Amino acid sequence: MKTVTIVFKKELIDTIRDRRTLVFMIVIPLLLFPVLFKILFSVQESQTRKAEQKTLRVALIDNDNAARFSEILHGRDDLRLVEGVPVDSVRAYVSDDRIDGAFVVSSDFDEEVAEFGPGRIDFYFKSTDEKRILRNRLQKIVDDYEKEILEERFEELDLEGDVVEGVDLKSHNLASMKEQFGRQVGGFLPYIFILFCFMGSMYPAIDLGAGEKERGTLETLLTAPVNRFHILLGKFGVIVLTGMASAVVSMFGLYLGLRQSKELPPEILDVIVKILGADTILAIFSLLLPLTVFFAGVLLSISLSARSFKEAQSLITPLNIAVIIPAAIGMVPGVTMNLTTALVPVLNVSLATKEIIAGTMTTGNLVVVYASLAIFAVLSLWGSALWFKRESTIFRE
Amino acid sequence: MIKVVNIRKTFKLSREQKREMGKDFEGSTVDAVAGVAFTCRPGRIFSLLGPNGAGKTTTLRMISTMLKPTSGSIEVDGFDVVREPEKVRKRLGFLTGSTKLYHRLTANELVKYYADLHGVDRESFERRRDEIFTLLDMHPFANQRIGKLSTGMKQKVSIARTIIHDPSVMVFDEATAGLDVVASRGIVELIRNARERGKTVLFSTHRMGEVSQLSDDLAIIHKGKLLYNGAYDTFEAQMQAGSLEDEFIRVVEAA
Repeated sequence: MKTVTIVFKKELIDTIRDRRTLVFMIVIPLLLFPVLFKILFSVQESQTRKAEQKTLRVALIDNDNAARFSEILHGRDDLRLVEGVPVDSVRAYVSDDRIDGAFVVSSDFDEEVAEFGPGRIDFYFKSTDEKRILRNRLQKIVDDYEKEILEERFEELDLEGDVVEGVDLKSHNLASMKEQFGRQVGGFLPYIFILFCFMGSMYPAIDLGAGEKERGTLETLLTAPVNRFHILLGKFGVIVLTGMASAVVSMFGLYLGLRQSKELPPEILDVIVKILGADTILAIFSLLLPLTVFFAGVLLSISLSARSFKEAQSLITPLNIAVIIPAAIGMVPGVTMNLTTALVPVLNVSLATKEIIAGTMTTGNLVVVYASLAIFAVLSLWGSALWFKRESTIFRE
Repeated sequence: MIKVVNIRKTFKLSREQKREMGKDFEGSTVDAVAGVAFTCRPGRIFSLLGPNGAGKTTTLRMISTMLKPTSGSIEVDGFDVVREPEKVRKRLGFLTGSTKLYHRLTANELVKYYADLHGVDRESFERRRDEIFTLLDMHPFANQRIGKLSTGMKQKVSIARTIIHDPSVMVFDEATAGLDVVASRGIVELIRNARERGKTVLFSTHRMGEVSQLSDDLAIIHKGKLLYNGAYDTFEAQMQAGSLEDEFIRVVEAA
């Protein structure tokens, strides 16, 4: 055990002095979320402001059949009515962004309204995320107008407004905030942690395996009176530590990112902080630990079999996809934890994290997940130990 | 003492290597070392001489337990390299020309790392380190990162790393390859010093000058087989060519 500690300490010093590893282990996970949130919220805020303040170009084709509606539109400062749009070109005008929306009023509109019927207005718009604000602004004009008409009708008929409501349906969602958050956002969190665990392990694994071979230091190390398995364990420990550190730092970065985002309502932030309590975080990291050991074993085996740092990089980079796919499947609605999914590494961590955050994880499934992860972790360690013993792996030319 | 008895090392060829061997080559294995036997004694320098690909490095890697012999046996100070590899490595100092160092560690950290791996206690380490650092004039750069040192300084760190545990057997695999005259002299001094202190020294080199300067015993290896194994003085006395280099080429070409 003493030699494992000696190798571990040396490899740790060597690793934390490597700028590339530090960037992947600390800098990216720490800064990604604060920077990403800052950019996203700034862009979103500026787009919203722009859309809200913009004077909308609107076409009204009413053939003098909607006097009151036309008056409302003409009376608004935030609209510019575009004249002379032919009725058969409305779609083209909206599609080409020559106007932001168009109201085409039916030929019997005023008559219909006067006879207590629904006056038909065709509303043309282009709905994209940004345009939803524009659409809502225009829709609100029609809604307000409709409200006015209805109030007048109720008054004339001497009726209360709720006479048109046949059923007073009141919905009560019994899912706790924690469950709702777990199902919605909970899928995203494990994806991030798994990815950072992998990324944080990747560079140290390449450096401590193929990098050491390429630099010619491995041969010297093997002439020291140390059991090869102990050397491997020392390296393994550092790779697992950097992977876990990367996940921890990414969680801290996420917290910082959420804290600094002024757009996030404080009550939501409070819910997030409450949900991500110490017990949840501990449970998530207890899943990530065996998963990182599994990653470390696979990465180190590949790294040791490569001739050079570059070759190891090119062999390991495609593995990102093998990690991303099961992690992403865990985010898909409808994919749930069962005996089969609990056995698949990465996917099981993704689903289990979601369930833990939602507070719906069953003990039976959790035991299966731990057992599966433990088996895969031991297998990967055993495999890399066998690999490290092979002469053809160490002296591959 | 190193006792090598009739060792053979067979490598399985990869598809790529088979292609490189040419169409005439049949089979899937190659003998890098075939029936080599020699003995290196304490207080003597044993030179292993041979052209590229002769089997020198494979032989030295088997002695240092990095590779296992396919057949035959090797003992280092009475310990078998296959059965007791850690005991062998404890007695061994191994320096090769291709040895690189951990660039992100300081000279001091690197030497301490190898001392720890060899189980040298703190007191002995500090005494040995001070002796070696003084001998090699390493104190001025002891706490500098190795990546920032000159080639000569790095060579000194390599030497310090090799001898920090005071090994009884020292193996040098083309340790002066690629070094300038000044750096090579440091290695040659180290080898001489080791002999004076009664160590068993085995070294392989391409430099005939070093062979004639240092050797007590000599073995010439070619295509995995020994062409000569005996005292250097005897070899020199029996030389048919005018120089060691010419005689070496003559022996190899005659094989």
